[in-house]
Amino acid sequence: MLRKRRLLLSLGAASLASGTLGLPAGVARAQGRPLTFCSWGGALSDLEKTALLEPFAKLKKIEIAFASPTNYAKIKAMVQAGAPEWDLVNVGGRFIDQGKDVLETLDMTLIPNARALDPGWVTSRGIFTSTGATVMAWNTKAFPAGKGPSSWKEFWDVRAFPGPRGLYKQLYYNYEAALLAAGAPRDQIYPVTDEKIKLVFEKLREIKPHVKVWWTAGAQPPQLLSSGELALSSAWNGRVLAVMKENAPVAMTFSDGIAWGNAWVVLKGSPQAKVAMEAINYAVSEEAQLRLLDAGTYGPALGSAAARATPEQQKILVTAPQNARQMLIINEGEAARYSAKYEDDWNRFLLA
Amino acid sequence: MNPAGGRLGTVALLVPAALIAVLVFVVPLARLLGISFSAPAGPFDAYTHVLGDDIYRQVFGNTLLVAFAVTTIALLIAFPVAFALTRLRGGWRTLVFACVLLPLWISVLVRTFSWMLVLERNGPVNRLLVSSGLVDAPLSLLFNHAGVLIGMVHVLLPYSVLPIYAALVRVDPSLLRASEGLGATAVTTFLRVLLPLSSRGVATAATFTFLLSLGFFVTPALLGGASSMTLSMLIDSFVSDRLDWPLAAAASVVLLAAALAIVAVASRFIRVSNLARVHR
Repeated sequence: MLRKRRLLLSLGAASLASGTLGLPAGVARAQGRPLTFCSWGGALSDLEKTALLEPFAKLKKIEIAFASPTNYAKIKAMVQAGAPEWDLVNVGGRFIDQGKDVLETLDMTLIPNARALDPGWVTSRGIFTSTGATVMAWNTKAFPAGKGPSSWKEFWDVRAFPGPRGLYKQLYYNYEAALLAAGAPRDQIYPVTDEKIKLVFEKLREIKPHVKVWWTAGAQPPQLLSSGELALSSAWNGRVLAVMKENAPVAMTFSDGIAWGNAWVVLKGSPQAKVAMEAINYAVSEEAQLRLLDAGTYGPALGSAAARATPEQQKILVTAPQNARQMLIINEGEAARYSAKYEDDWNRFLLA
Repeated sequence: MNPAGGRLGTVALLVPAALIAVLVFVVPLARLLGISFSAPAGPFDAYTHVLGDDIYRQVFGNTLLVAFAVTTIALLIAFPVAFALTRLRGGWRTLVFACVLLPLWISVLVRTFSWMLVLERNGPVNRLLVSSGLVDAPLSLLFNHAGVLIGMVHVLLPYSVLPIYAALVRVDPSLLRASEGLGATAVTTFLRVLLPLSSRGVATAATFTFLLSLGFFVTPALLGGASSMTLSMLIDSFVSDRLDWPLAAAASVVLLAAALAIVAVASRFIRVSNLARVHR
């Protein structure tokens, strides 16, 4: 009896000891794992996998693991614990500034292709590899395809465009949309000032009774629009284009859209930092960027690739001149500042 | 075996379990408490922020209100169901038991998404209501308090039914017959015999449901609107959007303290150890 107990005890002690002593083995495994890429999921992840990373893996004869969705809290926790499970991550441009302590400074000698990009798409900790926009989308049973709102001013006009609306759950995008709805010209949106914020909240209070859903995930607007739960909503263009290809009753416009890029960053402490930067270099090469044109969801960041689009492809391209002309390009640094500074006001606004 | 050796053996056998409890429960909780005092602006900064701001008080009030409403509705539905379970026999009893227990095996996320499909503007509930002529236009059942209440009551109902059933099943049926035989109406029998005899079960069910509602995240986040924000949603935004972990930790500690206070009050009426007994 006693001997059996002692055996159990020593077994327990042994498993505990191996649990703690086993830690270095775990770290060693992390170093042996393949290059791991994390993105937001959906149309974007599919595109990045097939157009940018799988060809790179083939070229380098390496294996790449894919994860989703991107989660800033997870990034912070993993880096602070010293064992990031992801090496290369697609983040919102805002995070390049917000998360600078957990991101690796890019070695630009490994990324020579970045020189061909517009300087606006290159920062010391992140490089934009594809472009998208936050646009107005609507249910075509509520308004026919060409008859939806063509400006945020019209999005705010509940008489001309009646029906429940959707907007993003944070001040991000809504700051820009509200100012444009108030009639501010595109070159007057930044820098953020207290007066502009006052105007933003006034405009948002005006539309709030008509906003049924404050969406948090990119998949929500296309789903809620096609089911008829919402009549019109702000949405990420790639997600809308993806459901339009499946003939969902949804339409969108680039007019008055808010353009942004998908930034690739390397996490601090990544055992694969060098390969990750080489992957960024490949992703912004003309060869890889041209593949984004055929996919028809999110467009290339490289100007020379965008210029090779057919007229048909240009229609759905954020960077095509006829679309870019009608859009505002988001200032991610300013967005990071207003998001942090006015977050309590935003929560107060949502709850009121 | 002498008694002293036996006791030593028992203690030794408990050590692994205690160690696991300390490692996976006490240590993280202590760390959470530590993080809550680690705001760069000073140890109590996070708490002043969480407790001093009117919006967070509003979220906290909202959380309590939702939990209270869910508990009340769940109890009103659970009592008749539990009573029926004590009376039904054979196949019917199995069927009702399955209806109560089977949802527990399905992920909360799946159940919440199913409610989105059922309650949406053009979903089956609204189509039925409109085609039957009960309402003229589809009702707004999603992204407001109605959606949150429907979803949460459904998810938490088993936690109300089971403790009440456990109490009712112990009530001697002859007491009810005696009450009836002495001329009491059904209402009097319910109020003076059945309810007092099952009050412990009802209190246990109420405590269980209320505590679980307080920390609920998925259902209110997916079915609720902007104004139905609860404390757990706020904590999530502190963690993942704001990346302000001291603030998130402080809000969690406040929620934990509130839950402990409720258990303390509830333990005046029920023995906390009974909570563990219901599932037997």
